[in-house]
Amino acid sequence: MQSPASTATAGAAAPEGAAGGLPQFDLTTWPGQAAWFLIFFVIVLVLMARVFVPRIGGTIAAREDKITGDVAEARRMKEEADAQAAAAQADIAQARAQAMKLAADARARAQAEISAKLAEEEAKLAQTGAAAEARSAAAREAAMAHVGEIAGDAAAAIVQKLTGQAPSRAELASAGAA
Amino acid sequence: MAKAPPIAPMEQFLVHPIVRFAPIRIGGFTLDMSITNATLAMGLAALLICGFLAIAAKREIVPGRLQSAAESLFDLIDATLVGPIMGHAGRPYVPFVFSIFMVVLVMNMMGLVLAFGNLAHQAWTFTATAQLAVTATLAIVTFLTVVAIGFIKNGLGFFKLFMPSGLPWYMLLMVAPLEFLSFMIRPVTLAMRLFGNMIGGHVVMYMFASFVVGLGVFALQGGLAYLAFAGSGVSLALVVALTGLELIVAFLQAFVFAALATVYLNDVVNLGHGH
Repeated sequence: MQSPASTATAGAAAPEGAAGGLPQFDLTTWPGQAAWFLIFFVIVLVLMARVFVPRIGGTIAAREDKITGDVAEARRMKEEADAQAAAAQADIAQARAQAMKLAADARARAQAEISAKLAEEEAKLAQTGAAAEARSAAAREAAMAHVGEIAGDAAAAIVQKLTGQAPSRAELASAGAA
Repeated sequence: MAKAPPIAPMEQFLVHPIVRFAPIRIGGFTLDMSITNATLAMGLAALLICGFLAIAAKREIVPGRLQSAAESLFDLIDATLVGPIMGHAGRPYVPFVFSIFMVVLVMNMMGLVLAFGNLAHQAWTFTATAQLAVTATLAIVTFLTVVAIGFIKNGLGFFKLFMPSGLPWYMLLMVAPLEFLSFMIRPVTLAMRLFGNMIGGHVVMYMFASFVVGLGVFALQGGLAYLAFAGSGVSLALVVALTGLELIVAFLQAFVFAALATVYLNDVVNLGHGH
């Protein structure tokens, strides 16, 4: 074991530091310690300023940039998707409206066609009905017109049978009128 | 019969040369650049810092463990210290503050984590930040940097630092000398705070560790002396607890030094706006 005393005798520099008081107050060691410390501190400082701080700081800044960039990109893409969804929704609504309009049109057209045909048929029917009525009326009239003649013929026939002589036309007409 | 080693808590702070160089004399001033155990510890600290950052500072967008560790340490200085205190004007000073933080942190931690090497008298287990020469040098570097940047940024307006705005002249006569005094005392408090914390922690840990051995050896005498094993055990538990506490102190003192350096820089960089 190396004792303070042996160190003091071995190192010619600091006998009083080992003897009493703090070794740190032995001023003979100060210039050397200060100089060595300055040398190492300057080495560390220069490397920090030139290499390490730019590298670490740059990495942290790059990471923050990347994160904010990625977040912005994601937000942009979400907005784009939202817009696309809205456009698709609008398209669907429009297509539905168009389809409904088409269906309504077709229904209206069919309706119109049907009613037109119906009206035509009705008109045709009415016409045929009227013609038939007119024909039957004419037939009745004709029949009615022949009734007097038939009655006259019948009366003449009866009169001839009864009297043996055919009545004149004027007698028949006056009898018929009575 | 086993014999307890002598209790010499200050021995761990002794600076002894490993490779001797002839001292350089400049006038009446002597500069001994011999490589000592302090030099070795400081060099190892610088090597650890640069090695760690060279390996850990990758440019991956998704960081691994080492890169995460390096970025957390950097963020501690950049995003939680310099940013909020100095604002955007603090950007150029991040390397300086980060260097202070890493140097103090690694030197503090090396004194604790590598302390097992002390048992084998390994020179590189020296705690450089427990040397007043080292903490004073760092404090003076910080102080002179603040003064230099103050003059570069503000010219003679630097002296406004000692004259709080909105005070009548007769109050300024009293306040300005006090402000000047508190400014000049900054390097002393910076140096003494770190030095005191480190030496205090190491001495207390040494004392309790020596009780573990001392009481244990005493207990080996047998008889009633066996009771000393209890004291030895308690001391061992305290050493473990103190190691944890000192790890916190080591980190905290590095952060405090960096935080004060940032505050002092902010005084002169943002002089006149918002303080």
